[in-house]
Amino acid sequence: MAKLSLKKLTKSYGKVEVLHGIDLEVDDGEFVVFVGPSGCGKSTSLRMIAGLEEITSGEIWIGGRKVNDLEPKDRDIAMVFQNYAIYPHMSVRKNIAFGLWNAPLSKAEKAARIEEVARILDMSELLERKPSQLSGGQRQRVAIGRAMVRNPAVFLFDEPLSNLDAQLRTQMRLEIKKLHQQVGNTIIFVTHDQVEAMTLADRIVIMKDGHIQQVGTPEDVFHAPANTFVAQFIGAPSMNMLNVTGAGDEISLSSGIKMQPGRQTQTGQPLLLGVRPDDLSVDDQNPIVTGKVVVREPLGSETLIYVSGPQGEIVAKVPGKSGVKVGDEVKLGATPEALHFFDTETGDALV
Amino acid sequence: MSAYKRLSIRQKQIVWAWLFLAIPTLFYGLIRFYPTGTAFVISFQDWNLLGERTWTGLSNYQKLWNDPVFWKVFRNTFAYLIIGTPVSLVISFVIAYHLDKTRFMHGFLRMLYFLPFMTSAVAMAWVWRWFYQPVPIGLFNNFLASAGIPQIAFLNSTTNALPAVLAPAVWAGLGFQVIIFMAGLRAIPGSYYEAAKIDGVGWWTVLTRITLPLLKPTIVFIVVFSSIGFLRIFDHVFNMTTNNPGGPLNATKPLVLMIYETAFSSFDMGYAAAQTVVLFLILLLVSLLQLWILKGDNS
Ligand SMILES: Nc1ncnc2c1ncn2[C@@H]1O[C@H](COP(=O)(O)OP(=O)(O)O)[C@@H](O)[C@H]1O
Ligand SMILES: [Mg+2]
Repeated sequence: MAKLSLKKLTKSYGKVEVLHGIDLEVDDGEFVVFVGPSGCGKSTSLRMIAGLEEITSGEIWIGGRKVNDLEPKDRDIAMVFQNYAIYPHMSVRKNIAFGLWNAPLSKAEKAARIEEVARILDMSELLERKPSQLSGGQRQRVAIGRAMVRNPAVFLFDEPLSNLDAQLRTQMRLEIKKLHQQVGNTIIFVTHDQVEAMTLADRIVIMKDGHIQQVGTPEDVFHAPANTFVAQFIGAPSMNMLNVTGAGDEISLSSGIKMQPGRQTQTGQPLLLGVRPDDLSVDDQNPIVTGKVVVREPLGSETLIYVSGPQGEIVAKVPGKSGVKVGDEVKLGATPEALHFFDTETGDALV
Repeated sequence: MSAYKRLSIRQKQIVWAWLFLAIPTLFYGLIRFYPTGTAFVISFQDWNLLGERTWTGLSNYQKLWNDPVFWKVFRNTFAYLIIGTPVSLVISFVIAYHLDKTRFMHGFLRMLYFLPFMTSAVAMAWVWRWFYQPVPIGLFNNFLASAGIPQIAFLNSTTNALPAVLAPAVWAGLGFQVIIFMAGLRAIPGSYYEAAKIDGVGWWTVLTRITLPLLKPTIVFIVVFSSIGFLRIFDHVFNMTTNNPGGPLNATKPLVLMIYETAFSSFDMGYAAAQTVVLFLILLLVSLLQLWILKGDNS
């Protein structure tokens, strides 16, 4: 019932167009994450959905209604801001009650609703406190509470976790995910952090420079990136990119190495070969690159090794116990399924 | 030098702290506390600026208590305070609130409001005196005449004179208060308003429940600051009523003007000092009271 559709949505500030036609269908109850580098237009999109930013052209539909000309309060949405926007002079209860300002409920019903939300968010004993007496995570929860009392068709989150420290961020991430499973409302969540996007989303929308690059499940965008931008944006460390030339069922690298990628290529065609650090293994029989380990970054269960060779520097993730040392000569290879090919000119994935 | 070396780090810090404190301490001692103290002493003496100072005990204060002019002036001073402070507070807030939302010629408009604050009180007073003249000279009375409304004696009436003198004083202070209010308004994060917009809260509620409470520190500052200003009002009154300072019939005379006349027309320094002490106590009391009231329920 609460489907959200964006149709050819554009936004211009003066003469500068910052969003260039966003098309997206979000299903009822879906958790969709907008992710992309800073300045790509995530917040602008979200604020247009909220009604805080005027729509230059295109349409927004929420729950079967075109909302272009509706006030934010009439759009059946609630928003959680990056700085939480909770009022420092009001108690937690009053802050949450603000979300119900216009609700057609009696005083008792409102009070019950606030209690219920406080219980779900596990902050019943915090209701009489002022925001200054709360920790960062608790403030975050108040902000979510104020959105939740409205029981909106769509929740909008604009980088709600970026003001928290790393540990709290991981914890709140989990809580938001649990909350979504519990309440089931549609959520649009904006972040610049790809790990946050991967862990939270049912579907990820990857944006760059006001364009959508790819929409898909976390698995889709990780295993089948639509272009080099998505390939390198999702996953850490980033996917290695190598310049290769096609030669029938073989490809040749600039280092002179030839290998069978398990697919046909056009002879003489320049291509980009992408391979994730995780997919590389040392001492491969059919190596893609050879070189010397220049830096080792142990992460515990895994170790990152930076290998420098004639084709430049690439990074590989090897088991923590593999015993590779700085200065070792290694041959890195991957299975054909782990290789991604991209057009050199457009950056689009070749399938 | 060797004595200094033998000191512990803590003792050295104390030495340096006192060294740095010496300048402000000296400054306050000489420029502020010494004259203040002297004024207190003189208030118990008789002194005509040239002759001997003689102790008279509380007689200056007794004279003050029994002086009808003092009570008139006392009432005037509080009239300036009680009308001036809220009126200027409300006007400056309304201007700042709207100016904050205006993008059109924002800088220019802000400058216009600030201009009176930088203008000399003397020049301003003369312009306003011209405004207040009877027909055919005065601006206001010309307006009234063309609208068919009877003339108003602004500065010559014992009832109208005080508000007529107060108006330019309020007007002169507006620019400063507007700037302070705008800074306060700017400091409120935009997301507070956006959150309220999503919650569907009306502008009046936003104003009374969000903007004003968050502006409280600004309001406290402006109230205390402008109260002190109105309690010490002098130059506007003096320049608006030069022919008969504080007139007509002391209707506009504030405490500072009375002090000035007692000291430098009557050369009764003891009496003037006693008035100064009273003014000082009033200022202290009013400021403390306001700070207490406005900050009290902040818990
Ligand atoms: N009020 C504004 N006026 C002009 N340009 C803006 C405004 N808000 C955002 N922009 C521009 O729009 C683009 C997208 O901004 P934004 O949506 O905030 O990016 P993101 O949230 O992805 O970091 C940026 O290039 C930014 O400079
Ligand atoms: Mg943003």
